[in-house]
This record gives sequence, C-alpha cells and structure tokens, in this order.
Amino acid sequence: MPGILDRERIIAPAGFNRWLVPPAALAIHLSIGMAYGFSVFWLPLSHAIGITDPAPDDWKISTLGWMFTLFFVFLGSSAALFGHWLERAGPRKAGVVAACCWGGGFFVSALGVYVHQIWLLWLGSGVIGGCGLGLGYISPVSTLIKWFPDKRGMATGMAIMGFGGGAMIGSPLADILMKHFATPHSVGVWETFVTLGAIYFVAMMCGAFGYRLPAEHWRPAGFNSPASAEQRGMITSRHVHVHGVFRIPQFWLLFVVLWMNVSAGIGVIGMASPMLQEVFGGTLIHLPAALKDLGTNERAQVATMGAGFAALLSLFNIAGRIFWASLSDYIGRKTTYYVFFVLGFVLYCLVPFAGRTGSVPLFVGLFCMILTMYGGGFATIPAYIADLFGTRYVGAIHGRILLAWSAAGILGPVLVNYLREYQVKHGVPVGQAYNTTMYVLAGLLVIGLIANALVKPIAPERFMSEAQLVSERRPAEAR
Amino acid sequence: MSAPEPEGQNPAGASWVFVALAWAAVAIPLGWGIYRTLRTAAKLF
Repeated sequence: MPGILDRERIIAPAGFNRWLVPPAALAIHLSIGMAYGFSVFWLPLSHAIGITDPAPDDWKISTLGWMFTLFFVFLGSSAALFGHWLERAGPRKAGVVAACCWGGGFFVSALGVYVHQIWLLWLGSGVIGGCGLGLGYISPVSTLIKWFPDKRGMATGMAIMGFGGGAMIGSPLADILMKHFATPHSVGVWETFVTLGAIYFVAMMCGAFGYRLPAEHWRPAGFNSPASAEQRGMITSRHVHVHGVFRIPQFWLLFVVLWMNVSAGIGVIGMASPMLQEVFGGTLIHLPAALKDLGTNERAQVATMGAGFAALLSLFNIAGRIFWASLSDYIGRKTTYYVFFVLGFVLYCLVPFAGRTGSVPLFVGLFCMILTMYGGGFATIPAYIADLFGTRYVGAIHGRILLAWSAAGILGPVLVNYLREYQVKHGVPVGQAYNTTMYVLAGLLVIGLIANALVKPIAPERFMSEAQLVSERRPAEAR
Repeated sequence: MSAPEPEGQNPAGASWVFVALAWAAVAIPLGWGIYRTLRTAAKLF
C-alpha cells in the first residue's frame, strides 16, 4: 500500500475541484519567497552583539549578503539535481522535504545567531534552506500543468507570482516580530527565525498535503487543443525524458532565453533604487542639486523615495508574473518572449533618454514595465518547457533550466557593478554612469531574442516511445 | 494506442466552499503584504 506521501496516494477522485491546487502551490511559493526579503535581517544582525551599535565581533553586512548567493546557487542546483526524483516521488513528498529544509533551515540559523556562528547561518538558511527553495519552487509546476492543460501559463504564473510576493509578507512580518522580541540583551533575530521557521513549516506542510494529481489521461471538461495551427506545432502531446535533455538544442535555447531575460532584470533590480537617486538627486524633492551636494536630511528623504521605488518595482514584478504568463496562453509562449525581448530592448534603450530629460514619471514607468517582463519571464518558462518537451518531466526539466537563474545571479550584478565602476573611474559623471550599462543589458536581450527565434519544435526521435512511457509509469519496485 | 481520455466531471457545490477557504488562506496574507508594499511605494509620489 502506498505511503501517505507517495504519488499513488494523491491521485484525485472524480469530481475533484482543480482550483484547490493553486492555493496549495501558493502556500509553498509564498513561504519560500521570503528568500527575497532576507535583507530585513542584515541591519539587526550587524549589531547582534553590540545591540545598539556594532561591536568589533559583530558580522559585517557584506558578509551576511553572501546568503543571497547561497540561496540562488543552491536553489538552482537542488532543482536541477532533485527534479527527476520529484517526478518519481510526487509533489507531496517533495513539498514535505521542502518544508523540512526551509523551516528547519530557519531553526539552524536561529542557533547560529544564538551562538554567533556565521557558518551555522550559511548552512541553515543558505545550504539547507536553499535546497528547500529549489524543491519547493519546482514542486507544483508539473502538477499545475497537468491540472490546467488549457491554462498552463496562468496556472504556473499564479504559483510563481507567490515566489515574488513572499517577501511582501515575510519582510514586514519579520520586522514586527523583531520589534516584539527585541530586549536590552537581544536584537530579537533568533526568536524571529524560530517563529518564522514554525510558520513556514506549517504553511508549506498545508500546501504539500493540499497537492493532488489528476488521474492518467484526465482532461478538463470541454478542453480543446489550441486553435491555431502554428500554436499546435509548438505544443507537443508527447514527452521527452529528462535524461536526454542536455543533448537537445531546444533545451539550451530556452536556457539562454531565461538566462538573458533574468540577467538583464537582475541587473536592473540591483541598481534601480540607487540609479533613481543618483540620476535625479535633489530634483526628487524639488531641490536643484545633485545627490552628493545634499545634506543629511535631504539625502534621507531621497533614500526614502528610493525605497518607495523599490517597493513599486516589486509590485510590478509580481503583477507581471500572472499577467504575462496568462497572456501567453492566448498569444503563445514564443510570441510572449518576442514581446519581452523586443519591447524590453526599446525600454532599456529609453532609460538614458528619460534620465537626460529629467522626467521622473517616464523613468519610473519604464522600470515598472521592465520589471513586469522580468517576472513574466520566470512565470512563462514552465509552460514553454511543457509545450516543447511534454508534461511528463516538465518539473525536472524546469529544474535544470533554473540553473540559468544561478548563472544570471552572477552575470547581471557583475555586469552592472563593474561597468558602473569602470565608467566612474574614467570620469563619467555618476548620474550618467548607468547609460552604457543599460545599452549592454539591452544587448543581452538581443541575444535572448535570437535564441528565442531559433526555438523550433523538437525532432520526433527525441521523444519517449510508448514502451518507455509504460515502463516509466510503473512504480520503482515493480521494475 | 493511447488510453481513452476521461473528461473532467463538474465539481460538487461543497467543493467550491473549500476552494473559497483555500484561496482566502493565501489571499489574505498576500493582500496584507501588498497593502504594506503600496504604503511604502506611496512615498515615491
């Protein structure tokens, strides 16, 4: 008899309402999305010993910032490594493991803060939590695509929107908890980690136990295949095995598509707020002065506006995830990425113009639009993979393509930071130092555009035969 | 030859109550987070 976590145990009965599955996926994605909000802990942790001011033994913010690198390296790696296991074990088991890793990672980190050992923090949230991120991120993808063959983009967009929105809940909640737990002898971080770990563990377990799989060959009532002949050509009803995927050119083309889209977006996210402040300076608060000429109070006001800008961008980031992914169900995935790359190219090239004209609304509007396409790129890729490679191993293949995210986490910030430094060193005014960077990021989108244009339906011999499919469907012990 | 494809059945009325509850469980915290973010974003204007 299958165990409570096994995939055979979670096949939905007839009449099951498929709209129960997206909230389960959202519960997991909203929890792991807190990874984006971890910077809320950096300032309190930088004076965890000194309490009011940093002590000599306190951690530096730059040291703590390595957590983000660990998050995204382990997210990509674990998604790639365990994706195939997930497809065999089922989403519930993967969701439970993700809950144990993400929640447990918080507990290990709490111990690290309590005994003031940075390696425990990195091990807890960075390594163990990072594995939870990877498994949790891909756990609902293939399930949602199987439940929503008619709305693949919208279904995965909803879940991936949760990953973008997790920090919106987690950051203010962590702030409230740290204030609640703070005492004259503690900044309240380890207590907050324990509380958040428990909350996320429960939320993710609820999500994992909410997963149900449709019966084999299930189709929603009245489901019709995509109408246009062109779309039908780009949507297969067959399945590629994950093991052979590295040898298929379309895998690498989608890898480049995601890599370029995310690299450009990550670069923008990192520099948007300082760029707003440096380009417009005092004009943001109606003072005709550059940022360096402002006093402390005026700088603080400008910084507050920069924080507001960052918050606005995060809203557009999550809105883009559901909007573009849903739209892709109607216009096709390839067309959606064409829009990202062509429109994105124009928008990136217009940013220096907006800076020159001094138009804050135009500048803000351009970035908001760019951020919708950054989020949209993440949310549309699972459906693109399912269309090309079939649904059997979509979670595992998506996991491998997410390595592009890890690669983008290196390429985007490196490009932006080094280009800016190089220009400032060679005498370019600070307010204009971003212009070349924007053109370089637009160039990345051209590479993505070419890769997208080269995506064609996969050759028939790459797909699994009927005999292979039957063999794969049998439980492991029967093989 | 592939197996016949069963059509989905219409879910029972009670299941929509569960759907509403499940969505509320995720939408309420997300709505709170969006509200907090909007308050921060308002400082830009």
